[in-house]
Amino acid sequence: MQSISLPGSAESRIKSLIDRMVAWFLLLVLAVTAFIGTAGAAQLAAFVTPNEMKSGSLLLKSKEGKFLEAPRLGADYTVTVSGPTGRTILTQRFTNPANGWVEGVYVFPLPETAAVDTLKIVSGNRVIVGEVREKQEAKVIYEEAKRAGQTASLLEQERPNIFTNSVANIGPHETVVVQIEYQETIRQSQGTYSLRLPLVVAPRYNPAPIVQTVDFRSNGYGIAVNDPVPDRDRISAPVLDPAKNAPVNPVTISVDLSAGFALDEVTSHHHTVKVETIDDTHRKLTLDTGSIPADRDFELTWTAKGAAPQVGLFQEAVHGKTYLLASVVPPSVAPTGPVKPRETIFVIDNSGSMDGPSMQQAKDALLQGLDTLKPQDRFNIVRFDDTMDVLFNDAVSANKEYLDQARAFVSALQANGGTEMVPALKAALIDSRPNDASSLRQVVFITDGAIGNEQELFATIGQGRGRSRIFMVGIGSAPNTYLMTRAAEMGRGTFTLISEVDQVKARMEDLFNKIGQPVVTGLSATLDGSEAALSPAQLPDLYRGEPVLVMAEAGQLKGTLKVEGMIGETPWSVSLPASAAAQGKGISKLWAHRKVAEIETAATLNQIGTEEANRQVLAVALAHQIVSSQTSLIAVDKSPKRPANMPLTRADVPLNLPAGWNFEKVFGKEVPAPLPPAPRQRDAAADPFMQLAVAEAPASASAPQQVTLPQTATPAGLLAVVAALLAMIALAFRLLAMALTPKHGSPQA
Amino acid sequence: MAAFTQQSRVPETGPALPNGRARKDGPAIPRRRSILNLISILSLAGAIAMLGKSSWIMLKAEVSQVLLARAFTQTVATGTPVKPWSWADTWPVAEIRIPRLAASAIVLNGATPESLAFGPAHVTETPEPGERGTSVISAHRDTHFAFLKDVQKGDLITVTRGDGLTFRYAVTSLRVADWNRSGIDAHAPGHRLALTTCFPFGSVVRGPQRFIVEAVMVK
Repeated sequence: MQSISLPGSAESRIKSLIDRMVAWFLLLVLAVTAFIGTAGAAQLAAFVTPNEMKSGSLLLKSKEGKFLEAPRLGADYTVTVSGPTGRTILTQRFTNPANGWVEGVYVFPLPETAAVDTLKIVSGNRVIVGEVREKQEAKVIYEEAKRAGQTASLLEQERPNIFTNSVANIGPHETVVVQIEYQETIRQSQGTYSLRLPLVVAPRYNPAPIVQTVDFRSNGYGIAVNDPVPDRDRISAPVLDPAKNAPVNPVTISVDLSAGFALDEVTSHHHTVKVETIDDTHRKLTLDTGSIPADRDFELTWTAKGAAPQVGLFQEAVHGKTYLLASVVPPSVAPTGPVKPRETIFVIDNSGSMDGPSMQQAKDALLQGLDTLKPQDRFNIVRFDDTMDVLFNDAVSANKEYLDQARAFVSALQANGGTEMVPALKAALIDSRPNDASSLRQVVFITDGAIGNEQELFATIGQGRGRSRIFMVGIGSAPNTYLMTRAAEMGRGTFTLISEVDQVKARMEDLFNKIGQPVVTGLSATLDGSEAALSPAQLPDLYRGEPVLVMAEAGQLKGTLKVEGMIGETPWSVSLPASAAAQGKGISKLWAHRKVAEIETAATLNQIGTEEANRQVLAVALAHQIVSSQTSLIAVDKSPKRPANMPLTRADVPLNLPAGWNFEKVFGKEVPAPLPPAPRQRDAAADPFMQLAVAEAPASASAPQQVTLPQTATPAGLLAVVAALLAMIALAFRLLAMALTPKHGSPQA
Repeated sequence: MAAFTQQSRVPETGPALPNGRARKDGPAIPRRRSILNLISILSLAGAIAMLGKSSWIMLKAEVSQVLLARAFTQTVATGTPVKPWSWADTWPVAEIRIPRLAASAIVLNGATPESLAFGPAHVTETPEPGERGTSVISAHRDTHFAFLKDVQKGDLITVTRGDGLTFRYAVTSLRVADWNRSGIDAHAPGHRLALTTCFPFGSVVRGPQRFIVEAVMVK
């Protein structure tokens, strides 16, 4: 009966052994959790890819194709609005924090109407002015300069509203100032003029982390099922939150507004501004708080005091040619005849990027739209994320029963999943009565436009629009306005922006009021008396309060510009003598930009081939020196070590700062002294251009630009080993537990 | 193990007592026992989960190749990229074969962790196979490129692209390098191919080293 007596000392030893084992186990769990947590977090927090960038930022190329973000010290937007056009000078300063030479990639948003024509870089103590070249050619020049150790900059268009700037060979701790200038047309609708500065590439509610999470999991740390780290969400939260991932980028903005007419209200919608009145047509605005984080677009609108001007005519003579910009607001005439019933198809985006206030705005907008329906109207609703649902099989009449059903459907929507826009649009364009002229078919598309396959969407509209008209409603603090504008243009509709919940009601009412019927149809423009190319060649129908915008290129401007159309059933025409045109700045650039957009639209509609379109875009963009899908801005600084044999003409600017560079604004009061020239020396043994990751380690012998290789180990082996260990632990503890089963025949028995 | 033997002897000793009795005598022991049992069960659950995940990775790697092969055949036939399954964010771009090892695999576009889980993938910033420069294809060492450890100098590698063209390469070197010092120049003169995977083979932890098989195009 040995086993019956368990001496007190033995029992306590077992107890303490068990205690220690439990403690050890808990420690192990903690350690594993911490390891997985930090490894995962470090991997996600430190590196970003250009797609993940929310605002203009300089990214330093680093290991495994990821980028390390350089600290951004400031950005300044100086906008000069003169009449129908605006010119913006965007100045930003970055510092290379590393000890090696780095290449920076700088991603930033611009308005989709922006014709970018100037790029300047101050790197250390030099100023480089860029010039427009064919895209591929520019790239080659850039790559060559990069290899040769020369400072170079390449500005490329990714989308008409997203640009990338690559800067090669930024010296250690060197400061780089990037200045970009662009021209744009001022948007005008319903007597309101507006200017928008996109400060963010994508809505900040965009949960890009969804992608990261997938990344994370397939890297093997995240075990999707039976998660061994129950607090993963908490661990991962900081890196999944873009607000914490992206640094705060202070922005200063100043607008010099010469409207050309007496101003009434000037409103900044999302930021507080200080307004200085110069005279009744001229205001100067600056941000009140001095600088703001770049987290939402800047939107400025203004209206005319009294009657808004009906006609604007401006011209610019460049290189022996004259460019004309005309805007005409048709007179408002009360609609004649009975109002046609409508068939309205609402499409609502409930993808993950809409999460937060955007979803609420979208739902409110749709509910508001439902309220405007009359009993004789018909409607349907399509909702989509990466899946989609069509509420009714076919459009149904807007009676109470169906409307209630629709309201319940909309109210229950939640933002989630990916953004598969094309199938939803196709579904909305399915028209069971394609030849019905007695009703107006409208597709109201509510989205933030956070997609990359814009072309596919445009092609879908081009092929399937039929009699439907497409009205885009852009939601959120930074919607993709390029998508909205082009889609609305191709769908012969309009687009409306809604950035805040309190704008929903007014803007949706405006929209539904004006889209009841196009006000002016069958528009055409001719310029008598001179050989002229007009753009757009085919004018779109107009809705209430919208101006006709015509641009022209002519050898010599004379004669009359005649705009004709039908207001309802009444013919309407207006003649503008070309000689009356006032001088305008940058109109040739705007003409070129407009022409490029027109060529690209024709290509999307398959009216011309892609190659032909590319050729035409190239010719226009080169002639007018603007950045486009076929052209880039390239600037190369000759290396001080050897004479440059680059086929580049370069405008060297003296060391004094060029006009327009407001250092005080960008840099604060202290004007930094040019950096000492010492880091410029280039050792033949050390590669002049080193990637950041390489730069941290001693440089190897000559290392040309190397391909970094992806991680190619699955965690399968590791998981199996961990599984075996856990199984052993399970067995050990089970045995220990069994050992503690009460002993039979204890002394007391 | 001592505890185990001790316990196994218990049934032979004396009459059984209700468990409740022992609990009354020493409440500390049963509480500890239930903690131990709980840990044991949790560990076992963890082990099963890990094993499941591990097998899932291997299974996914195998099964996806079948779907990829089908999509690739279609790609060659139609001349346009075909996604292997509707929600895929990558598509097959080539088929790679090493006849001596009777090894083959479908190569995907873009060496992202997602695509690498399904097959070898072409590193996007390098030229396409068959083009001037060095085309780089990477895959996991424990699945699709496990056979790289058996490759020898002089081995023939064939790559069939989505457009149906087939290129032949001969292996010129096998080496190990850090991921960021690959020494591979994507724009090097000539028509080259590099297959890379993690090194050492058989290791269970991730490391900085990569195994690189270099080859040049031959007639």
